[in-house]
Amino acid sequence: MTSQPEPQTSREILSVNDLTFGYRPEVSVLRGVNLSADVGKLMCILGPNGSGKTTLLRCMLGRLHPTKGSVLLEQKPVHKFSARALANLMAYVPQQPASAFSIPVREIVLTARLPHLGVLGLAGQKDLEIAAAAMQMTDTLDFATRTIGELSGGEAQRVMIARAIAQQPSICLLDEPTSHLDIRNQMLIYGMMQRLGHDWNMGVICVSHDINLASRFADTLVLMRNGSVIAAGAPSEVITEDILRETYNVDIELIPVEGSSPIARAK
Amino acid sequence: MNEQTNNPLPPSLTPLKLVVIFACLLGATLAVMGVCVLFGQTSLTWLVLELRLGRLIAAALVGAGLSVGGMALQAILRNPLAEPYLLGISSGAGVGVLIGMATVGMFPLWMASVPAPMFAFVGAMVTCVLVYLIAQQRGRLNAQSLILSGVIVNVFNGAIMLAINLYISRYQIVEFSQWMMGEINELTPRTTLGICAACILVGWAWLFIRSAAYNALGLGDDVARSMGISVGRLRIETFVFVSLMAGAAVALAGPIGFVGLIIPHIARLLLRADFRVLIITSGFIGAIFLMIVETACYALAPLVNVASIPVGIVTALCGGPFFLMLLRRGLRRETI
Repeated sequence: MTSQPEPQTSREILSVNDLTFGYRPEVSVLRGVNLSADVGKLMCILGPNGSGKTTLLRCMLGRLHPTKGSVLLEQKPVHKFSARALANLMAYVPQQPASAFSIPVREIVLTARLPHLGVLGLAGQKDLEIAAAAMQMTDTLDFATRTIGELSGGEAQRVMIARAIAQQPSICLLDEPTSHLDIRNQMLIYGMMQRLGHDWNMGVICVSHDINLASRFADTLVLMRNGSVIAAGAPSEVITEDILRETYNVDIELIPVEGSSPIARAK
Repeated sequence: MNEQTNNPLPPSLTPLKLVVIFACLLGATLAVMGVCVLFGQTSLTWLVLELRLGRLIAAALVGAGLSVGGMALQAILRNPLAEPYLLGISSGAGVGVLIGMATVGMFPLWMASVPAPMFAFVGAMVTCVLVYLIAQQRGRLNAQSLILSGVIVNVFNGAIMLAINLYISRYQIVEFSQWMMGEINELTPRTTLGICAACILVGWAWLFIRSAAYNALGLGDDVARSMGISVGRLRIETFVFVSLMAGAAVALAGPIGFVGLIIPHIARLLLRADFRVLIITSGFIGAIFLMIVETACYALAPLVNVASIPVGIVTALCGGPFFLMLLRRGLRRETI
């Protein structure tokens, strides 16, 4: 919104065309979803529980195969990619950061280099520089030798984002990355996602539950209900009381804020 | 590679570091083996030393196989309490040996024409295939169902062993229960020792090659997949090689419990490292640990007026309380 991406950088990276998906044939979770994500932009997907946001994300990750329609990454169906080729283009951050074992943060971030490395995944100088840059961006360098278990929730989630960045993808998908975090870490992480788009020229797609944070940081908002897209576009276009009521089935009022996006509040 | 001046991240793991770690651990293991061979020997005849050396080599192989197997299982199941026995490998080997006794009538156990270790090995492998077939869903292996299948197959194997016990002679039951206590036998044929050594060393090397992926797997299946790792294949591969190693270990020494649990934990406590280092380290620590236990058993046996103390009894006596301690601690803290 404020920082204008250069014209040639704003190209489509991922497109979802008439996507229909059901875990069982008779029940469709997604019904004819269309959307298009560009590099250099942050897209947030909003919608009530059970609206199909996470299912859509899993289709984009190539984990679920569409019943009908397609998900194209760089014009190629996402499930046609080999796991390694996909890893070179697309990174993923889960809802909850977790590491089952006490592996140092630095090694966790360096696992991102695995798709680029040989058998033992021994990191070279270049990989260390990439990891260091990712950790600098997410402000996680200070605890490089600590383990995930010793970090706070916000710090751990930033490590997971550093790991995704170190993969050097063209597009990064995040599944409600701030759902367990305090307001400071929510702000930090939304700011990071915006920078990943605007400054790092990545496509960023984030499933979110926070209308206000999403409309404040995102370039594009997608509102979903019952497996269909209700509205998609710039926050100023799609955040209206009518659209929010239709999406969440609750009366929402918009409180204008000077110099920023309005605040949505349930009546 | 010494241009670490302006890089904020120190180098993590270099080939040189790996070689140094490997060489140091190998040296330490050989040194311990040397001390153990000579420990408590009054007459240094070649025959006695050769017998001791054979047992210590077997102990080192078993210790390494079980420890590395435990470490790899804990990685793929993301469960710090996993170890080879959880998958029913020891009970499968037990069934194999019992079937051997009931059919071929092997007696005494170690002099039979078909060596008992071969039966143990086949039993262990058959059980592993069974556990895999029960646990897999359309060729995919899920952590929880693997653990549950192991538990179920263990119970089932226990019942089969009791049933076969009805059909074999009392002497064979005594012989069998001695094997079940986990004793490293010095009369193990050279060929058996060779086959088991090959299984354990090949498995160790393979798991080491895959160990970088274990770091990623710790972050969850979805994240690991997003990094290009085929999680299902990694689980199957690991499972196959752990079965091979643990089957060989049980064939050599009977079911020796808790080594696969204790050693990986000690390795993790000693060094906060990733799985590439841990897979190497745990193997050597396991080898050293079991050689020391074996030597202690050997030295203690005359003092308590028994012919020999099975190693399995000692490891179980140490391992049981250790397991409980981990369990209690795990209940308090989520990760270890």
